[in-house]
Amino acid sequence: MTAIATRTPASLPRNRDIADMHYLASRIMLYLLAFTAVSVIGFPLFWMLICSFKPGGELYAVPPTFLPNEWTLQNYRDLFVQTNFLTYFANSLIVAFGATFLSLVVGGLGAYSLSRFRFFGIAAFSNATLVCYMLPEVLIVLPLYIYVVKLGMADTLISLIIANTAFTLPLALWFMRSYFNAIPISLEESAMIDGCTRLGAMMRVTVPLALPGIISVGVFSFNHAWNEFLFALVFVSSETNKTLPLGLATWIGQDNIYSWGMLLAGAVLVTVPVILFYLLVQRKLVVGLADGGAKGE
Amino acid sequence: MADNRAALAGDRLLAYAALAPSAFLLLLLAGVPTITVFVTAMQDVGMGDTDGPFIGFENFAWVFAEPAFYTALWNTFVWVFGSVALEMLLGLGLALLLNKSFAFRGAARAIVLAPYLVPTVVAVLTWRYMLHDIVGVVNAALMSIGITDQPLLWLNSQGLAMTSVIMVGVWKFFPFVVIAILGILQSIPQEQYEAAKIDGASDFQQFWRITLPYVMPVFLLTALLRTIWSFNKFEIIYLMTGGGPLDATTTLPILVYLKAFSDFEFGRAAAIAIVTLAILCVLLAIYFFFIKRAEARQ
Repeated sequence: MTAIATRTPASLPRNRDIADMHYLASRIMLYLLAFTAVSVIGFPLFWMLICSFKPGGELYAVPPTFLPNEWTLQNYRDLFVQTNFLTYFANSLIVAFGATFLSLVVGGLGAYSLSRFRFFGIAAFSNATLVCYMLPEVLIVLPLYIYVVKLGMADTLISLIIANTAFTLPLALWFMRSYFNAIPISLEESAMIDGCTRLGAMMRVTVPLALPGIISVGVFSFNHAWNEFLFALVFVSSETNKTLPLGLATWIGQDNIYSWGMLLAGAVLVTVPVILFYLLVQRKLVVGLADGGAKGE
Repeated sequence: MADNRAALAGDRLLAYAALAPSAFLLLLLAGVPTITVFVTAMQDVGMGDTDGPFIGFENFAWVFAEPAFYTALWNTFVWVFGSVALEMLLGLGLALLLNKSFAFRGAARAIVLAPYLVPTVVAVLTWRYMLHDIVGVVNAALMSIGITDQPLLWLNSQGLAMTSVIMVGVWKFFPFVVIAILGILQSIPQEQYEAAKIDGASDFQQFWRITLPYVMPVFLLTALLRTIWSFNKFEIIYLMTGGGPLDATTTLPILVYLKAFSDFEFGRAAAIAIVTLAILCVLLAIYFFFIKRAEARQ
């Protein structure tokens, strides 16, 4: 060892220099790549936010200004004063919370059953839920429209809540089953020995333990229903029952009448609840998406 | 997990009662509707009606003789293949990039994943403003660096509309691929890379011999999932172009919608939906085959 070290004292630092250069070059490349990727991917959302604060004249300027010369909240004010934005927002909240609540309660019970019992047809049922989730919306919407018309439920929010569970319920069943599977049954058994009923043990032991998972399923369901467009487009006809995606979509079609500023301000406000929920469950969401990658969008 | 079930397997009634509401809702919202679509596809449903006389397979005969169907089939193929190929490529590249450690990596990850979380209508709105012929920033940028001196009609020309829709779809949905692949990259044992480095393997060799074999099963499964979802996609195309100009971006789901709710021909729309479902079933069969094989391996 010492013999080798003394024989090559001069060449060692030089090698290290070259290695350092290599390292430095690859770090610079890495940062350049990351910076480019983030700028290109992030640009549309940045542009949406920035432009929602531009006054009317600047929104139609050719070529466009980069940062607004004049920052204004006029677009947001117009949105609340001149449109039914608040009605849309309230409708969307009702539909999204309704669908989430329905899928969490119904799906929670179902997932508990799938996780804790062994009975005939369980595998077939699980696969069937997965297939339900992958059916094209446009296939389901035809017959659902027929039912809704025949039952006199056209143009109601309740029809949207129920229709949305066609996709949020399979999601809830799949995810919650895996969360329940991860909780040892021995905990429930001890609770039952201490005098809990089966349902009591479920509510007091299993559900609290699975709560982080249940919350992220709730966020997924909320997000899905919050985004849903096709059912709203087909079922809803009156202005007072429109949800946000439908309301905004009707404005896009008339981009000469409505200003882009108002549309962009609307887009920013539709995104806010989504971002809030994301921050709430950030870690869980990424884990959940990776785990459930095979099971839900 | 098996123990979880065996221990309390006696309580059959509760098991069925707890599952019943889910089963009922799924039957009501997916099972029965699928049957209804079959029935409707056999009926001659007139303007504004939801029922009509039975005419057997006439609607299907109409579908296979209809040029619009073949155009939609081709458009669907272009849309699915174009978006999935680009999403997978971009997703893999960015997952590898975001797996390296650098300053502000958390922020970079959040920004890259953001398009996936943003509502579709928001994505569409923003891109339609950016791609606007006259006031759009994309044309302004292209013209200022001299790539084109005429504004490009991104959404209003038959040649470019599909490209634009694919571009926006890729931007919106590729983060799903990043999430899936990033998950598997983080699970590769680091000792393997250290051992390879000691043996003198180059970066490329490490990627080819260690990373790729680990990533491949997830990569294929994700590609299949993206294929199925892109195949079903309706709202992003409908909101970007409404299927137009003319029929340049009319995919099968768009055609079903237009037939049903614009032409009010429910029977024919249902027949197209059934054909669409048949194609989807092939994709689903491949998907389940892969899942089963992956499970068998574990």
